[in-house]
Amino acid sequence: MKIFSIDKLLSLVFGLMVFAFFAFLYPFHLNYQEQYQLFLFSPDYFFQFVAKPGGFSDFTGNFFTQFFFYSWVGAIIIAILFTLLQRTIWFISQQLGAKPLFMPITFIPSLLYWGLLCDENYLLGGVVVMLLTAASIGAYTLLKGNRVRIFFVLLLIPLLYWLVGGAFLLLPLFVIIREIMKREIKIIHLILFTLGCVALSFALPVLSKTYLLQYPMRQAWIGVNFFRFPVIIPVSIGLIGLLIVFIPIILHFLTVHIKKNRKILIFVVQLVVLLSGGYLFIRQVADMEKEEVMAYDFNVRMRKWDHVIALADRKTPTSPLSVTCLNLALAKEGLLADRMFYYYQNGIGGLIPDFTRDFTIPMMVGEVYYHLGFINTAQRYAFEAMEALPDYQKSVRAVKRLAETNLINGNYTVAAKYLHLLQKTFYYRVWATKALITMKDENLIAQHPEWGWLRQCRTKDDFLFSEGEKDMMLGVLFRQNSENRMAYEYLMAYTLLIKDLKHFVQYFPLGRTLHYKAIPNSYQEALMYIWEKTNTDPSKEILYPINPLTKQRIKAFERISPHQIDPDPKLFDAFTNTYWYYLQFRK
Amino acid sequence: MTLNEFNIKNILQAIGGWRLAAGNWLLATGFFLLVLSSCSEKVSPTDVLKEKPSLFPDYVGVTIPATIAPLNFKVKAEYTAIDAVIKGRNNQVIHLQDAKEICIPVSKWTKMLSGSKGDSLQITVSIKQHDKWKQYAPFAMYVSTTPIDYGLVYRLIAPGYEVYSKMGIYQRNLSNFDQSPIVENTLIPGSCVNCHSFRQSNTKDMSFHIRGKKGGTALISNGKMNLLNTKTDKTMSNFVYPFWHPSGNYIAYSVNNTHQVFHEAAGKRVEVGDAASDVVVYDIKNNQAISCNLLMQDSIFETFPSFSADGRTLYFCRAAHKKMPAEFNEVRYNLCSISFNPDNGTFGDRIDTLFNAVALQKSVTFPRPSPDGKYIMFTLIDYGNFSIWHKEADLYLLDLKTKSTRRIDEVNSDDTESYHSWSSNSRWFVFSSRRMDGLYTRPFIAYLDENGKAGKPFLLPQKDTEYYDRLLFSFNIPEFVNEKVDVNIPELEKLLESPLKKVTFKQ
Repeated sequence: MKIFSIDKLLSLVFGLMVFAFFAFLYPFHLNYQEQYQLFLFSPDYFFQFVAKPGGFSDFTGNFFTQFFFYSWVGAIIIAILFTLLQRTIWFISQQLGAKPLFMPITFIPSLLYWGLLCDENYLLGGVVVMLLTAASIGAYTLLKGNRVRIFFVLLLIPLLYWLVGGAFLLLPLFVIIREIMKREIKIIHLILFTLGCVALSFALPVLSKTYLLQYPMRQAWIGVNFFRFPVIIPVSIGLIGLLIVFIPIILHFLTVHIKKNRKILIFVVQLVVLLSGGYLFIRQVADMEKEEVMAYDFNVRMRKWDHVIALADRKTPTSPLSVTCLNLALAKEGLLADRMFYYYQNGIGGLIPDFTRDFTIPMMVGEVYYHLGFINTAQRYAFEAMEALPDYQKSVRAVKRLAETNLINGNYTVAAKYLHLLQKTFYYRVWATKALITMKDENLIAQHPEWGWLRQCRTKDDFLFSEGEKDMMLGVLFRQNSENRMAYEYLMAYTLLIKDLKHFVQYFPLGRTLHYKAIPNSYQEALMYIWEKTNTDPSKEILYPINPLTKQRIKAFERISPHQIDPDPKLFDAFTNTYWYYLQFRK
Repeated sequence: MTLNEFNIKNILQAIGGWRLAAGNWLLATGFFLLVLSSCSEKVSPTDVLKEKPSLFPDYVGVTIPATIAPLNFKVKAEYTAIDAVIKGRNNQVIHLQDAKEICIPVSKWTKMLSGSKGDSLQITVSIKQHDKWKQYAPFAMYVSTTPIDYGLVYRLIAPGYEVYSKMGIYQRNLSNFDQSPIVENTLIPGSCVNCHSFRQSNTKDMSFHIRGKKGGTALISNGKMNLLNTKTDKTMSNFVYPFWHPSGNYIAYSVNNTHQVFHEAAGKRVEVGDAASDVVVYDIKNNQAISCNLLMQDSIFETFPSFSADGRTLYFCRAAHKKMPAEFNEVRYNLCSISFNPDNGTFGDRIDTLFNAVALQKSVTFPRPSPDGKYIMFTLIDYGNFSIWHKEADLYLLDLKTKSTRRIDEVNSDDTESYHSWSSNSRWFVFSSRRMDGLYTRPFIAYLDENGKAGKPFLLPQKDTEYYDRLLFSFNIPEFVNEKVDVNIPELEKLLESPLKKVTFKQ
């Protein structure tokens, strides 16, 4: 089989690898991306983007990103874009006379960008930029006449600047190098052309900054939101861009005659280096811990509580946000009081983390407040998370939550405003339309399994949110609706996690309105612990109906625990899933 | 086509001919559709109603200036077509029909308004439902002979909590729909731009704050820009709420130690209050903040200063100090005044109470004297000073001659009416209101006649009627301006990179 006949096959295999990675190993990063934008099928939305240089690429990137709601669709899109990028670079290389033997080198830019997309803050618009720039270079290589080429480039530069932002510089850079290599244009014309390109390249960002944009100058140069934080200059993107220019040129020079029997060896070596290097590179840059947190968050967002618990059963979560999600899922499934100490607990930070001014934590913590019935706080957290997005986008997840909270609070006009926006999206329009119908009938809201219930849970008596007094807030919430089991269990969990057994005992009787069949495990353990510490009369029995096994286990625990400052994990294997262990050894 | 004719040239010609034919056909079809679409269906109402239509925005019976942009509207009902016949003076007629809304061409509208000053427009609206036309009773829009200023300046900001995203101070030409940015916070990532203020609508004298790592108070005086560091050793904060002296030599500011807290019950969201506040006057020529003991008392909250039309009185809001945020709902401000001598920048030795809101268990915010010196318009709420988050907030008018105060029922709604600003001739005022949805603040403009009676306010018109529904920004601090504002952005950027001009303090 001739080597050059397998180039399409290699591209296909590469595409499949990209797809498999994002679809099966890294899917929740794609879901994460999708929630932090609000792609609208509306002229306003389009013009808002195309009104600034590079906005078209941002718009196109957002268009694709909206499909990341289903990560496998997102994986297909990314695979296609990266494969197209590679094929375009290969096409340019072929135009410059590259030998098929070195075709594997053309995978490098796509492979590097794949690595960048492993960081959740790199946005897809950047890939569109690379693709459009490469396509422009490709189009240039097709042109034969000298004048045609020159005029084409001079006309294309402003257009490309508007489409892709600062990456347009790659086109004149390639063209000038290429024309020097070709020596078809008179030297004086080439100098003039170069000067024209340089003048245009400087003038365009300066003019748009002066007359159109209220952005820092660097933004006028860069244009596109390659990275979610616009203040960060994406050097790595620049390097990938340069590779798009220089790989075809380098391949042009790799035309030395190679013996046929060595060709296969060279080709195989390239493939091996590419595969092994690529594997090590992706493995290095892929952040599987973040992927895990995102998995928890996505399942919470989708209300797949059993999936969350299953994740924890497979691997105990340790990060505060994952534990927050797990505790929420346990509460929603009615298992929090029984099973929360089966898993690692990291204090209040894993129950209701404090507010931070960013777009991730408030979004996740807002879920807890929402399901508890703190509707105003859930609303605030969603709003704050959305406003904290550094690239000034809106968040579809936040807008959906704002629609819900306003609907629950009876602010129907505001809710309708958000729902009208969601009606202009691809995935959420059906939901929004149904919500608008529900909103017109108070009975339908009351019957709604979530909104109806949360409307009953939310507080009627006003009080001010206090980060340091979450237990008080939970107490007020539960007092207003003594069927709000989640509020009660969060209140009790709060006291247990801060090891405040005095208040635990004080609040414990409040739970009688919830008619537990048996005292939940963690409460039994706490009660037993208190009893053991306070009871001085061995003939007396604890008044609460405690499971005999729990009584036996605390005795065993007490036998080994008093002298253990730094516990030997093996010694405590049988007790790491108890509240006693948390109480004694977790800091 | 014969076999001989079957060559490339012929094929290209054939294709060219086909394309030409197709192009002509498309052109003809387009023209036909254009003619069709521009033709109005004849309205033969089967139902003529006695009531006037319920419009969005509600422009029925409003008083408008002759230079206002077209008041585009739709009827609050389901329909397949809407028809409007607008009649002005001298038999001028504009007849429009659409499937969704009435969007009036700017040129025709401008001409009609110009010819109908002092008169009214009569508008007859019909809607088509189930293939039948229903005609409403005609309604009027009154075209005032009193001119209005060139435009409005406002900040567009999401009605959020503590975190903010993109925002900016924008200007809008009132006679058309042109809106352009004056300064946007995208210029300095992470910054906040706020509190724009003009000397009685004069754009040559303007100030606004840029908050953030790089920031300061931008002061444009007589067209010259400076960037100030307004924090002094003797004041608790940077300058906050501004008001220009009519001479252009001073700006009164509050200095505030402001905090936010958040409500848990539905119906309330945010509470903004001051743990401490004072009032100072910035002397522009001497780059000096001046104040007096009466305006800087520890036991008193002083805020929202404003100068009288003659510049010899400083109005402000004054409340007894309370422990914040614990007693946030017990803070109540009276409307007070102190004399001010602009010749030497000194204050009187007595504070007068112009409106005792505390006695009514109410609180005054945003006292704004009219430039003609007749009135003070203010906002009255149950407690506190951040009226935009108070549903009960209403506008009041204090007649400085008779000292009588009245709620301006002509313009108030069940929801928040908060910030307000006078036109330079004191006959129009713009105010922010949350009446549309209870959250997103929108600017309404109202006329005030010579007897102090206000006309029905109208929502700032927009190109299409869904504009406000789409917009995720509030209109904050709407201010009239007499011409287009020109802030030199490159100069501002240069100033931001330079050391700020430090303000000194003198008591």
